[in-house]
Amino acid sequence: MSRLEAKKPSLCKSEPLTSERVRTTLSALKGIVASCYGPSGRLKQLHNGLGGSVCTTSQSSTLLANLSVSHPILKILTTSVQNHVSCFSDCGLFAAILCCNLIENVQRLGLTPATAIKLNKHLLSLCTSYLKSEICGCRIPVDFSSTQILLCLVRSVLTSKPACMLTRKEVDHISTLILRAFLLTIPENAGDHIILGNSIIVPLKGQRVVDSTVLPGILIEMPEVRLMKILPVKKSDSLKVALFRVSLSGDLSDTGEGSVVVNFGVSLENAVLDQLLNLGRQLVSDHVNLVLCQKVIHPSLKQFLGEHRVLAIDRVGAALMEPLSKVTGTHPIGSLGSVSPSSYGSVKDLCTEKFGFKWFFHLIPNEATVCSLLLCNRNGTAWDELKLTCQTALHVLQLTIKEPCVLLGGGCTETHLAAYIRHKTFNDPESILKDCGCTPTELQLIAEAFCSALESLTGSLEHDGGEILTDMKYGHFWSVQADSPSVGNWPDLLTRCGCGLYNSREELSWSFLKTARHPFAPLPCLPHEAVGSANNLTLDCFTAKLSGLQVAVETANLILDLSYVIEDKN
Amino acid sequence: MAAEGAVKAALQVAQALETIVSGCVGPEGRQVLCTKPTGEVLLSRDGGRLLAALHLEHPLARVMVACISSHLRKTGDGAKTFIIFLCHLLRGLEAVADKEKDSLISKNIQTHGRYWKTCCRWKFISQALLTFQTQILDCVVDRYLRRHFLSIFSSPTKERSLCRSSFKLLLEAYFGGRVGRNNHSFISQLMCDYFFKCMACESGLEEAFELVDDCFGELSVGVTGLPVSDSRILAGLVLHRDFSVYCPAGGDIRTALVTETIQPLFTTSGSEFILNSEAQFQTSQLWIMERTKAIMKSLQNHNVKLLLSSVKQPDLVIYYAELNGVSVVECLSSEEISLIQRITGLSPLVLPQASSQYEISSTALVKFYKPLVLRSKRYVHLGLISTCSFIPHCIVLCGPVQGLVEQHEAALHGAFKMLRQLFKDLDLSYLTQTSDQNYVPSPLIYKNRESNQLADTVNGSIQRPHQDPVEKNEGELAKTHTYLKVYSNSVVPSVELETHIFRSTPKVTPAGTQQTDEALRCLSANKTRIMDDHDLFIDGDPTTESTAENTRIEASYENVSITKMGGKGSMLPVRCKSLEMGTSQSYCFSSISAGCVLPVGGHFEILLHYYLLNYVKKCQQSEAIMVGTIIANALLGIPKILYKSKRGNQSFPQVYVRALHTLQTNQPMVGSQTGLESVSGKYQLLTSVLQCLAKIVTIDLVISIKRQPQEVYDQESEEEL
Repeated sequence: MSRLEAKKPSLCKSEPLTSERVRTTLSALKGIVASCYGPSGRLKQLHNGLGGSVCTTSQSSTLLANLSVSHPILKILTTSVQNHVSCFSDCGLFAAILCCNLIENVQRLGLTPATAIKLNKHLLSLCTSYLKSEICGCRIPVDFSSTQILLCLVRSVLTSKPACMLTRKEVDHISTLILRAFLLTIPENAGDHIILGNSIIVPLKGQRVVDSTVLPGILIEMPEVRLMKILPVKKSDSLKVALFRVSLSGDLSDTGEGSVVVNFGVSLENAVLDQLLNLGRQLVSDHVNLVLCQKVIHPSLKQFLGEHRVLAIDRVGAALMEPLSKVTGTHPIGSLGSVSPSSYGSVKDLCTEKFGFKWFFHLIPNEATVCSLLLCNRNGTAWDELKLTCQTALHVLQLTIKEPCVLLGGGCTETHLAAYIRHKTFNDPESILKDCGCTPTELQLIAEAFCSALESLTGSLEHDGGEILTDMKYGHFWSVQADSPSVGNWPDLLTRCGCGLYNSREELSWSFLKTARHPFAPLPCLPHEAVGSANNLTLDCFTAKLSGLQVAVETANLILDLSYVIEDKN
Repeated sequence: MAAEGAVKAALQVAQALETIVSGCVGPEGRQVLCTKPTGEVLLSRDGGRLLAALHLEHPLARVMVACISSHLRKTGDGAKTFIIFLCHLLRGLEAVADKEKDSLISKNIQTHGRYWKTCCRWKFISQALLTFQTQILDCVVDRYLRRHFLSIFSSPTKERSLCRSSFKLLLEAYFGGRVGRNNHSFISQLMCDYFFKCMACESGLEEAFELVDDCFGELSVGVTGLPVSDSRILAGLVLHRDFSVYCPAGGDIRTALVTETIQPLFTTSGSEFILNSEAQFQTSQLWIMERTKAIMKSLQNHNVKLLLSSVKQPDLVIYYAELNGVSVVECLSSEEISLIQRITGLSPLVLPQASSQYEISSTALVKFYKPLVLRSKRYVHLGLISTCSFIPHCIVLCGPVQGLVEQHEAALHGAFKMLRQLFKDLDLSYLTQTSDQNYVPSPLIYKNRESNQLADTVNGSIQRPHQDPVEKNEGELAKTHTYLKVYSNSVVPSVELETHIFRSTPKVTPAGTQQTDEALRCLSANKTRIMDDHDLFIDGDPTTESTAENTRIEASYENVSITKMGGKGSMLPVRCKSLEMGTSQSYCFSSISAGCVLPVGGHFEILLHYYLLNYVKKCQQSEAIMVGTIIANALLGIPKILYKSKRGNQSFPQVYVRALHTLQTNQPMVGSQTGLESVSGKYQLLTSVLQCLAKIVTIDLVISIKRQPQEVYDQESEEEL
């Protein structure tokens, strides 16, 4: 019996952000996420004290999913970042760090939340409209006639996840594989409406990364013993395929709510088996070469099919059904009776292949947008991390097709944006003031908080104690090693900016990011020849970064707007 | 606990709630974060939600919360204002009580006597409050406040048309109090667009409002992880399922609804299927297959391209659907099914048990159906052709976290509730004295407590069928009009009472507990009066039609049921009494017409404050003066909070003085803020608060029972007791 308990009263706290506890937990979270950021980010080892596997990661999705945060404010922050990641895969850490920075900076100012929120929102809209505009100096249009930019994009995603443990050579190998897998999912003759296929990631742990490969079609894993039993099928230019959704094991399907009474001597097993064998005969007479079943095939039927040199593969699983029907062009069959000839499909060829210690059936399609990415890595956790990274990269490529441009990575977009906002609020504050109804001082304070949040975000890219600079022409990000001799001879100490677009030999002047600078207008409009010549750029996904920026500012605003926290203690 | 204690305790509780709530009031209000025991977090500025999340323990607080939630169920708005107003009223009452206590102490009465005296005193105050609410408030609103009303309809004639700009202002003000500062203008724009897209014709507004109110959960789709600005309106319905089979089709496409599996099963519940031979089993399976095939074929022949099912269909059905080019959506929730039925008037397919004829009885045309991917989750996007006044559209609500999406969804739902109230007339009725030369009005009416009580009863009983919104919500079905006409004759004052009740169906929903309460109170009040009164004429027999010679009753058959429900025996005796006293009273019936609005920013409160004070000045009755002043002053509490953050010219004293000046000189009021709010909503809020206060004030003792709540007990534990 369930007892009706009187509810405990909730705990109500006012002005949650001013409490010391919230501040320390917020900065602790910031410390965790900021130290993971970037190619040289530190790895986090997550392990449950009660057992379970240990996982090494630096990705926001794994990190935040496993982190149990207690305070509701942090919960808002982490869930909003997780939701962003589940939509866009990339830029999770970016959003988390920016959000923490913004809250910290604005909180320190002590302005009323109303003005802070209004101005933050306005600055965000300045950023988004600049990033979307043609004159944006940190955006590169994607040229789909060459793979260079796409390859740079994938490589940037891979290098920013150090827990994959890839060497330089391996990064090159995996990024070409990912790009190939992505290109295989694009239909050849697409109309005005492109439907991308999918690439299935097949795990192969314990192998060298360079053994990874991409194959068109579908790989079905198969124990070696069973493979040996299968006789070679007769060769023709294409194979006829039947794909069953319904179980062929001879079990009686749903008989309804009443009861079925079977008289003595009546053998339902025989009746069902007869039915199955009839079906087998029909399949044989229809010249089907390959029978695939989502569920189990009855051994007798299997043997019957085998005798007639029809290959039968069962227990395919629900996940593979959709790609299989796409690859073969079949309608999944749901009937044990007559099978309509229109439900059969075909594959070009079928072969068995061995990768590592595993055997696979390889269905080679005539023409389809499904491919298999056989992914290898040395150990389990590194493989998990690599798989997530590959999914991120594939997703980022899909997003790039929708919005054909990329942003400069390596911190250059952030410093450039900060320089732009500084310049804009310094030189043209009237329009903002008119909209928001605040004083110029308030605007300057919030703009400074916003820009320094962006800049200290790029600061998190540097984990080895180096110094961070920005140039006064493009507003890009430059870092110098920790033990460099002295300040002064910058062109010698610096080599390339964060994204790799500019080198230090140009006539530039630098300044430390932490020190105050006079606002300057960063040079808009990238020179096209510069983009063309540079072949090793660090790039970020435009859509993901833009959304990350929006989510970070919106979440920060949300948290700044809280006046009470009511905790239900039941 | 003494009665004063109750007020004091109530004030403490209300003040605690006020501090929480006042932070969220108005366009400058901030958000509150609530956590659920499941660990979810919720953002809210909705007063009702906050109060529910607090899980208050204090008994008086729970009374207040109960009052508020019953008010919210009716109007969907005003929880925060409720608390603030109640708090100020309690403060006013306490101040009065303190003053009187001093005078009582000086009189040096015995403690026990004093206790009873204070109890009685509070009871009087409570009754005075109710009297005030039922008579004077209506009168003030109708006579004085009316001239300030604006309307969201551009022409107040019969063919009213909605004024788009004022409608926008109304929504902006509403969402300003509900949604975070960042998003309120965006959400109100979204709501505005949604409204005009869904409600094409203004004739069937009520029906459409009802549908949206009932099915709002199905009409909105929440998507987390995207910025709020990605929210949008989609034409058609979005079902929270994916296609089991998707076959694109165009042209003249139809849809059908099933609530059972299409494939016939071996047995139905309660029956037995006896298998005698293997051949029989095989033929029956074959029959099942053929039949399924035939049904799907006939669906295809009827051009049904989309099958909507509330249950999971077997593989066989899916297979034949695919072969016949019929798309299938399975496992639809019952809410989704009923929404589709309401929009299209479609009834589920009835599959004949035995016949070989497959008549597809009911199909509906659809414009399109296609998969919709929102944040990697797949939905079915369905373009239905509506047969009712609601044109189906869906809102896709985006937000970084679920809590924010839920807040926006709740705010949009509340906005529809508010609009539904606004688009209805709200009746007012009050008692006025006619100036008659031949007759000297009896001073009893306003000076005698008893007659006050009587008047209360009159209004209480007559108003009930009028004002009860539960009944009104039933819409045209049970719309009741009660007209009471009072004529005064120059020779013998006679009261003629006519009760016309127009009703389409005699069914009355007794759902409103409030109503029953009221009715009971009327009844009890009446009884006490009868007992006190030594008038034999009042026999309290409602069936006798010959109670008075001059009284003609025209009551339709249904009237009896109304009287029974709304307070049996209260109407007639009262009528007799008023006749006997020969008072020249007239009942005024008017209404706040649909779509009446006032500018936001405490306009309603300041106006009512001003007119109440004016009214009180003319009033001779001490109770009414006291209550009126308290209410008038308490009203100012809301604008005080709204203008708290404003400085200089916009600070509250400045605004107040300016408003009073313009009112005294009869100039039109100019609002500093843009935005409009519903008058009837405000008015209903006021009456709810006064009723709640009257309830609280009459409590003289709070008894705490240290037992488990009653529902817990099963039979065993009752035996233990």
